[in-house]
Amino acid sequence: MKIIIFKCIIIFAAIMVLFSCDSDTEIDKEKPVIHTDFINAFPTSCETIYFGETFNLRALFSDNAELGAYSIEIHNNFDHHSHGHNIEACDLAPKKEPVNPFVFLEDYDIPEGQNEYEVNLPISIPSENGEGLFDEGDYHFQIYLTDKEGWSTPLGLSVKMLYRED
Amino acid sequence: MIRFFMLLVCMSVIHVSLHSQVGYQLSGTVKTEDNSPLTGAVIYLYPIEKGSITDASGKFSLSHLPAGQYRIEVSFIGYKTFTDTISIKGDQTFNIQLEVSSLSLQEVVVKDNYAEQRKREESLNIEVVNDDYLKMNMGGSLMNSLERLPGVSTIDIGSGQSKPVIRGLGFNRVVVVENNIKHEAQQWGADHGLEIDQFAVENIEVIKGPASLMYGSDAIGGIINIKNNKIPTPNTLRGNVDIIGKSNNSLIGSSLSLTGRKSWLHASLRATVLSYGDYRVPADSVVIFPDSYSYKVNLHNKQMRNTAGYEHNYHGTIGIVKDHFQSRIMASQINSKGGFFANAHGLEPRQVDSELHDQSSRDILLPYYQVSHFKIANKTKWRKDQLEIQFDGGFQRNFRQEWSQYSSHGYMPPVFPDTLPFSSELEREFKKDYYSANLNVKYTVNDQLTLTTGLNTEYHINDIDGRGFIIPAYKRSNIGAFLLLKYALSDESALQAGVRYDYGHISIDQYKDWYLSPVIEGNDTTYHYLERASETERDFSNFSWSAGYNYNPSNWIFKVNAGKSFRMPTAQELAANGINYHYFRYEVGDADLSPEVSWQLDAGVEYAEPLFAVGASPFLNYFSNYIYLNPTSEFNQGYQVFYYNQSRVLRYGGEIHAHYQLFNALTLGIIGEYVYSRQLSGEKEGYTLPFSPPASAIINLKYRKDILGFAQNAYFSVDYRLTAAQNEVVPPEDPTPGYTLVNIGLGGDIRFKSQTLSVNMQVQNLFNKAYLNHTSYYRLMSIPEQGRNIVLNVSIPFSTHLK
Repeated sequence: MKIIIFKCIIIFAAIMVLFSCDSDTEIDKEKPVIHTDFINAFPTSCETIYFGETFNLRALFSDNAELGAYSIEIHNNFDHHSHGHNIEACDLAPKKEPVNPFVFLEDYDIPEGQNEYEVNLPISIPSENGEGLFDEGDYHFQIYLTDKEGWSTPLGLSVKMLYRED
Repeated sequence: MIRFFMLLVCMSVIHVSLHSQVGYQLSGTVKTEDNSPLTGAVIYLYPIEKGSITDASGKFSLSHLPAGQYRIEVSFIGYKTFTDTISIKGDQTFNIQLEVSSLSLQEVVVKDNYAEQRKREESLNIEVVNDDYLKMNMGGSLMNSLERLPGVSTIDIGSGQSKPVIRGLGFNRVVVVENNIKHEAQQWGADHGLEIDQFAVENIEVIKGPASLMYGSDAIGGIINIKNNKIPTPNTLRGNVDIIGKSNNSLIGSSLSLTGRKSWLHASLRATVLSYGDYRVPADSVVIFPDSYSYKVNLHNKQMRNTAGYEHNYHGTIGIVKDHFQSRIMASQINSKGGFFANAHGLEPRQVDSELHDQSSRDILLPYYQVSHFKIANKTKWRKDQLEIQFDGGFQRNFRQEWSQYSSHGYMPPVFPDTLPFSSELEREFKKDYYSANLNVKYTVNDQLTLTTGLNTEYHINDIDGRGFIIPAYKRSNIGAFLLLKYALSDESALQAGVRYDYGHISIDQYKDWYLSPVIEGNDTTYHYLERASETERDFSNFSWSAGYNYNPSNWIFKVNAGKSFRMPTAQELAANGINYHYFRYEVGDADLSPEVSWQLDAGVEYAEPLFAVGASPFLNYFSNYIYLNPTSEFNQGYQVFYYNQSRVLRYGGEIHAHYQLFNALTLGIIGEYVYSRQLSGEKEGYTLPFSPPASAIINLKYRKDILGFAQNAYFSVDYRLTAAQNEVVPPEDPTPGYTLVNIGLGGDIRFKSQTLSVNMQVQNLFNKAYLNHTSYYRLMSIPEQGRNIVLNVSIPFSTHLK
């Protein structure tokens, strides 16, 4: 009986060794990177974006393997909830209740097979919606970037959104 | 061996001391708490020093006793020695019930006979601990206290909440059973704890391995089997006052219990109150998501803002014990409330009014959770000759609310409308009602063969409320039947095998957003309440099995077990379709998921001598369709899309333990655990599974003396814990560096006249080290674990005989 048990254990150990010797498939463990540290990058922290105008998003995305997609989200920061890292550096207007805040949510594709991608994307900001003019003030501009494997990187920027005074 | 020899010596001594004398006869039966006869128990009468040993049916008799007052002592290894005074005036009977001894399970070695016996008879690997072990290792929650056991880890949130992980599997893949009834709450949530009062626990078994056979769906990783149903000794009233304090989060608490039995009627009560403040980390500031948001939070007094909480727990039991019949009703209510770290909302860092939060370290402001868990259960057992029938039925209601300040995300209105049926601050509410009824019939055919068959039924109703959506409302019913056979091949070896069939039905309610989102088609923009979970009905069935073999020659234990177990997909795995504003991701379920099936091969080998023991318990596990929330490169409504996928998964690993008694009172021990997981197919082929615990080891030195000065059972113990780095990660997890920790423990029993005080003290994280725990919820935001924590527990037992 003892011998049977020992045999079982040896077989068991052999299976384990077999599996552990199996060479590891090369897997991607790196997150993609959003670069906004070049001269023409836009927006950068504390930048102003104007309602009723079009601006070009300019950023550089890179990944060790292959980029996936990105999205842009803009929401108000009238309550100073602050999840970006540059927040203390900007002058925030006093806290206020939102009335008709601007909301922007868009998803964008990146062409297949890229490990570096320079974004130069025109984004049109409407001047009003069905409720009338948007609330001016402090907003968060968030960029989310993924790579093909599902790693993701966020970038949160504080911006002002205003109507241009002529 | 030594114990058996001692027993023989005892027996011969007793035999010699029996002389013939005219007088009266004292006879009776010695039984265990569950009324099974104890063979070989020693009965001894003082001062005449007369004794006897119980026979196969637990009976004893002492004759030729002169009338008078005697002290009777009944003892059996592994049980508490019973002593009482009796006066003999004529022939009389005296029945005794012995309680399982609370001799503590030593650091590494199992000293407790009960635990030893369970290890020998179970073909799966099992850890058994009792309340003394919990007191020596008391952590912030029950699971924290068990974390030291090989193969057991936890998913923690804050200082008072954690959930079990067995060999890397947690959430809905581990079943927690309390007194034979599954503990049902919101097991899927990483930030939800286990609603169990650790003071009320008398005995815990951790079964590592596939245990669907006895418990049905979900028992893939194993079982945490909690028992607090000891039957008290007849005609006694006993109680215990526990007082606990912790330095790190300024916890104070106490637990009071009272248990009594008058002949066949017994009852018990327990109340536990705990209150704690914000816990401290060894850092003046923390940086949330250092490589993305890199949001720095300054901490006041190194305290994690708003992590204070409390627990108020109540238990009551009433039961009857007859010769062939026992029945009891147990009711409990667990209430807890605790704050979430204020500078994060879900996984989103937030700036808060620090001044308001820092006024007091004990207040609980938004965001916080509040949970109440009510449980009522009946256990009835009838036993006659070879037949034993047991019924366990119960009702549970888990009610959980999470409150936080309203913040508009996505297309939610900027100002919360006052027309909604829920408060703006109620983020989530879950109400789960759970009904269960289990019937077990055990038939002992002969000395070799035992057959057990059982029927389990359960019904869940899960309702949701609040502004945030994570899981849909659903109803679920399950029925399962099993047959288990145990066959003793010899005194030293046994086979066990069983089969089980389960059928389950789940009916998921539709959920729509409470706010409108724009839908753009061509040039038209229309506004809709988007559907986040669709109405879904699914039926599941599964056939599971298990077969094992044990061989226990003298100092050895060998065991091998193979089994198949399963898990029904959960409601969110089947029906989710929308943004989870807790993790900020878009989750998509799959209504066609099949039940998750796992095959596992387990082995165990242990060699024990009085001074030395070593053991290993390897396992090999394969999932044909592990359900996994897979992050993709896609976006939807601004958030990354995660799909519930199924993939083949291979896992293996195991635990080792060894100890060596260096000197008389000094023992050196080591425990190690390791799990390897890899996805063999699907989008994340080659990656591990989320929340995989890193390899870890504990080197322990323990000094123990039965009598040391004024203290009894005194111990001093040092744990050196080594945890490897976890570089095996899968998106969106970050690798976690390794760390070492030193914990110390000391304690003993102190006697003042007739009163004993049991004192246990621990210093956890002695060197106040800042480290990240890979399986902690706050790890996701790179927040370190608790700093140095001194835990003091004083236990004051008292008892009296009822006339």
